[in-house]
Amino acid sequence: MKAVAFAAVTSLVLLFVWERVDIVRIGYHIERLKAQKVLLERERDELQVKLSGLTAPERIARLASDKLGMLQPEKGQVVVINFEPETPANPVAAEGEIRIAKNMVTRRAR
Amino acid sequence: MASPSFRGRRILVACGLSGAFILVIVRLVNLQVMQSAELTVKADRQHQKNVTLEGARGTIYDRNSKVLAMNMDVPSVFGVPASLGNPGTAARNLSPILHVKATELEKKLKQEKHFVWLARKLEPEQGRRLERLGLDGVGVVMEGRRFYPKGPLLSHVLGFAGMDDRGLEGVELRYEQYLRGEKRAVVLQRDALGRAVFPKGLNEEGAAAGHSLTLTVDEVVQYIAEKELDEAVTRSSAKSGTMIVMDPRTGAVLAMAVSPRFDPNTVGALAPDRWRNRALTDTYEPGSTMKAVIAAAALEEKVMTPGSMIYGENGQFAIANTIIHDHEKAGWMTFAQMIQKSSNIGAAKVGMALGEWRVFDYLKEFGFGDKSGIDLPGETAGLLRGPRQWGKRSLASISMGQEVGVTPLQMVTAISAIANGGVLMKPYVVSEIRNGKGQLVAQNMPQAKRRVISADTARTLTTLLEGVVTNGTGGKAAIPGFRVAGKTGTAQKVDPRTGKYSSTLLVGSFLGYVPAEDPRLAMIVVIDEPRGEGWGGVVAAPVFRRVGEQVLNYMGVAVDEPVKLAMAGLES
Repeated sequence: MKAVAFAAVTSLVLLFVWERVDIVRIGYHIERLKAQKVLLERERDELQVKLSGLTAPERIARLASDKLGMLQPEKGQVVVINFEPETPANPVAAEGEIRIAKNMVTRRAR
Repeated sequence: MASPSFRGRRILVACGLSGAFILVIVRLVNLQVMQSAELTVKADRQHQKNVTLEGARGTIYDRNSKVLAMNMDVPSVFGVPASLGNPGTAARNLSPILHVKATELEKKLKQEKHFVWLARKLEPEQGRRLERLGLDGVGVVMEGRRFYPKGPLLSHVLGFAGMDDRGLEGVELRYEQYLRGEKRAVVLQRDALGRAVFPKGLNEEGAAAGHSLTLTVDEVVQYIAEKELDEAVTRSSAKSGTMIVMDPRTGAVLAMAVSPRFDPNTVGALAPDRWRNRALTDTYEPGSTMKAVIAAAALEEKVMTPGSMIYGENGQFAIANTIIHDHEKAGWMTFAQMIQKSSNIGAAKVGMALGEWRVFDYLKEFGFGDKSGIDLPGETAGLLRGPRQWGKRSLASISMGQEVGVTPLQMVTAISAIANGGVLMKPYVVSEIRNGKGQLVAQNMPQAKRRVISADTARTLTTLLEGVVTNGTGGKAAIPGFRVAGKTGTAQKVDPRTGKYSSTLLVGSFLGYVPAEDPRLAMIVVIDEPRGEGWGGVVAAPVFRRVGEQVLNYMGVAVDEPVKLAMAGLES
């Protein structure tokens, strides 16, 4: 009986010690993960700043003109037209209008 | 049975152990009870570290969520002179990485101090090179630094934050209370080596980052405005230029450009004059653009109709012992022609027909003499004196845009009221504020201040202002495919040497909106002191056209009148 009691007490003590040690071990692990998280967040921010700088309209425009030889459209080269089919019941006619407009431009441009 | 000598030894050992145990107990009581308070404080001091964490400053986005300003942790380098072996060698190793002269670094490292800053807020790459160098006595700490990845884009609106991460100008200053990260004091547990160990609470969060702002500004529209304005200022060798693009239906600012620009990343060396947002801090005499507002008043009060006849006095009109001139001599003209040709004499007569108080009241109604209330710092109210302070010529002068000081922002807000059918809107640049978790904290909604003219008057005036572009002084503002309404302005500046109006120091401007029928853009272009031909119709109107054309294309606004196709020379 005494031996059982001794074993039980010893087990409890060992369990308590093991728990404390494990808490400290996990604590260190958490701190390592936190440090890793901070590093990853820094890397994310650095990439975000780089991306934002690389997509600046000024840079894109410069690359488009200097490297790709692109030009700003001339006066009237871009025409935005409103196209909203008035009656969904007759979509063919509406589509036809657009086609005619395109053909007209293409045909006459030749 | 044990021998007496063995028993004696047992008693001796038992006594010894008991004595030792009693000593331990006494010591324990002494430590745990008698000195408990004092030792607890000592232990806490060794195991705990109080630190103040500060959340990162909030990010600023444009209306399409493109990053315009954000914080990033960057390395700052310090030296501990006492721990350095050879300051000279360390300085020579550090110099190429920090881009600081070796002699300067050596001087710092030889100081009799425990801690010296060698360089602060460097580029991340410099930090990585320093880590690879691994010098004893040189350490790196991370600090938050504000980055403006687009460089000078929108710099006058964004403003900038200082070395201590506090907003000093522009949106950064105005919204400091939202952008600033939370400051929180936390207690870290440390082990014997000083490393942080298990935190007190697993759910304990770090300091919250500052709120993020979403602007009404579109970075592409801003780029177009800045590019065209810069080119115009350079081309005309002007002192400066300002341009504002506004959505007249809401008062939202789509672009606010000031030339010359500055880079908020390297603001330290610049004079304050360079970062002043002239669009709302500088007043100027608007000249003929003010005639649009006078015309609105005359139409609303039914003092004039488009067909009302006005005599142009053949280009010279005497008033209060002075002579008002017109550049184009005119006899009888209609009110519509007066607007188109921008007749000073006609405007003076319209003003006189309205009378002092009605002119003053309408100017006040349109927002002149008061701050617009835009959410940016440094706005001025301009200069509009009451009629009691006016001289004999003031009514005529004010009617043609003299003796009154306005800001470009006031002018574009006023023209927006005409464009949207008569309602004065409050201009704004920040549309949303969100916290670090992305939750909406506050939202700026379009805010109508008051109705200033009726929708009928606005429609009539739009037709007259279209005439300025189709048949008048603003021909160079015409945008193919769109009906443009606008007004040119050329104001003489007072020569600081003579105190009189100069014939060479001018402010050329163009104010208008497009498409005239259903306006999407209200814009003002102001060119300050252009060289050569300084007329608003010559220096400012072309900027209006170029910006309008590109922005309407970008926004996908459909044409509102037949357009000639350049590729085929055809009409659609």
